[in-house]
Amino acid sequence: MRIAAGVDVGSTQTKAVLVGANGDGVNVLSRSLIDTGANVRRAAEKAFDECCQAAGISQSDVGFVVGTGYGRYNISFGHTQMTEISCHARGAHFLCPGTRTVIDMGGQDAKAIGVGPSGEVLDFVMNDKCAAGTGRFLANAAEVMGLGLDDIGPLSLRATRPVKIATVCTVFVESDILSYLSQGKRPEDIMEGVHLAIAKRTLSLARRVNIEPLITMTGGVARNIGMVRALETVLGQKIVVTPDAQFMGAVGAALFSLEKLGESFESGVWRDHAVSSGN
Amino acid sequence: MAEKSASEYRGSIHQQQKELMLDWYQRLDHAAETGDPPTVSMMISGNCVELLEGFGAIPLYPEVNALQLAIRHQSLEPILAAEEMGYAGDNCAYVKADIGCMLKGITPTGGRLPKPTLVLCNFVGCNTYVKWFEHVAAFTGAPLYVLDVPFLRGDQPSQADIDYVVRQLKEVVLQIEMLTGRKFDYDRFRQSVAYSSEVEDLWSQIKHLAKYSPSPFDAYFDAITLMGPLYVYRGKREGVEFFRAALNELKEKAQAGNGIYEQERFRVVVEGPPPYPYFRTFRDMFASWSAVAVASTYSTVGGLWEFGFRHDPKCPFESVAMHMLAQNVTNRNYLQRYDQIRRYVQEWKADGVIIHFVKSCRLFSAGQGDMRDYFTKQLGVPTLYIESDLEDPRYFAEAQTKNRIDAFFESLEHAKHTAGHAVFERSR
Ligand code: SF4
Repeated sequence: MRIAAGVDVGSTQTKAVLVGANGDGVNVLSRSLIDTGANVRRAAEKAFDECCQAAGISQSDVGFVVGTGYGRYNISFGHTQMTEISCHARGAHFLCPGTRTVIDMGGQDAKAIGVGPSGEVLDFVMNDKCAAGTGRFLANAAEVMGLGLDDIGPLSLRATRPVKIATVCTVFVESDILSYLSQGKRPEDIMEGVHLAIAKRTLSLARRVNIEPLITMTGGVARNIGMVRALETVLGQKIVVTPDAQFMGAVGAALFSLEKLGESFESGVWRDHAVSSGN
Repeated sequence: MAEKSASEYRGSIHQQQKELMLDWYQRLDHAAETGDPPTVSMMISGNCVELLEGFGAIPLYPEVNALQLAIRHQSLEPILAAEEMGYAGDNCAYVKADIGCMLKGITPTGGRLPKPTLVLCNFVGCNTYVKWFEHVAAFTGAPLYVLDVPFLRGDQPSQADIDYVVRQLKEVVLQIEMLTGRKFDYDRFRQSVAYSSEVEDLWSQIKHLAKYSPSPFDAYFDAITLMGPLYVYRGKREGVEFFRAALNELKEKAQAGNGIYEQERFRVVVEGPPPYPYFRTFRDMFASWSAVAVASTYSTVGGLWEFGFRHDPKCPFESVAMHMLAQNVTNRNYLQRYDQIRRYVQEWKADGVIIHFVKSCRLFSAGQGDMRDYFTKQLGVPTLYIESDLEDPRYFAEAQTKNRIDAFFESLEHAKHTAGHAVFERSR
């Protein structure tokens, strides 16, 4: 079996994925996720190491490593680098065949990618230099409310009268929230307002590439069910989310690695795979 | 420029260019000391520099000063000085750098800059010019003349527009006569217009050399280097000599099949001014993909000559007016700019368009979102949109810019091999 790896060093978290190809096709063998922290190089090494351990192989069994994400140039053991834009498109094409639009929301980036029939990037747009409309915005809002990041999505689904959040500024959203709290608004209505504000901003971003079904959401924020629903509301369309959407960049990178080893394949499914112990 | 990018063209014209620009700065320094020759502040866009030759006067370009500072990584200090004085964050940073320099007594080369004999605002397209030059006049105490050049509303200016500008140009002549006590030398002016026409012809031929594959030079980054002599020496014999040498040198290169890379991989058209504070870094982002700009709109700010317009010594005033009204990118409308870029893509055979949005410059940048849509959605031309600034280093995010440029070229690469999911080879 040929084994290849993708390591996605994001602003918040670092993800590694191993894929293997044998006669049966391509399988995801393992994945790992750790906080990036201050030492980007170490984070990449650790994620890769954990990923190999989870698959029960040694690092030398891995034929090729593609690095992606903002820290891609800090991956000392990587053979080459690619942007996460190409990798998310590639990953989504493989795991969710038929994907034509990727909406990727990460810690400090939001992007929309138009994907061609063979997983190629047709067009992409990203948020401008501020963190409005990204994971950071949600994290700030959750913090002001004293809520955990994992709680805000389910909470917002209970909203009945979402508030209007006018600002998209990650810093000013705090004062908006505080003023709603002081008016006695319910936390679920406030959080739903926050999600809708981001969804609308993301929609205007995504409109600049042609939004075509299938729409697949990737990145860490895809774990937030409230965000997925809010996006579906403003888009008026269904969004596909795989359980491990935040690994999509690393999966794409691993697939490019595999191609580098001479494998060619169309698409696959997310099979059962070993999970590292995490941090 | 102090640092050199891997892809930068450095032939013998590079040295000549440096000498010409140095010579200009020395003459400005001399003027600061003696008042001779007379100097006139003006804008690059669609200007009437030929008029100055009629007085033996030389131009003073605040924009060139500003960009020189930025390219030398010295623009932030004057920008901050201007902001401290009250200029807003959203003001054009060229203006702030220029005003800040006056406040702090900074010049790009360290030499002196004269108090201009006349501050001549050749208003074409950008209304920041008017305020900027009012401030220059206020800070220097020099007299101000604002030329009112109507926007180009149709394909061509009307005769009334041309007459209107000509009347003003003649008024400027009287003004300079009064200010300098020198008589306007009409023959010298006409000769200057003739030189301009020759330079324009040579420059246009150079631009068309980028149709060769590989292109012998980069029509964005290298064109910017050549733009110094183009603006300062357009109406002079030295300009003709310089551009003749440049054409010969580049033509030889083109015919020998020499490009700026061992293997030219991508051809792009660039829209918008460059991020001067990160000029080299930005260029290297293209170089790492062996991508060459085969055309750019920024290099037509001073004049749009590759499609045929030339100054005409038979009707010098009218042709100067025509140039100001219609033959520079800033006074033309957006649809005309779309068309200019479309022609570049098709006739220069480009793989895509890169739009650099500049925060300072509404003139260039307002509407570029629609422009992106036009090229991607209506024409199907891959188009990248990136943002920073032409003067203020605080708006350049290196990692983000590189990420977008890399992704763009990855997608172009992928498009070349769509069938086979090729893995992209890139130089590291
Ligand atoms: S706004 Fe643009 S065109 Fe106007 S002065 Fe500034 S940089 Fe030049």
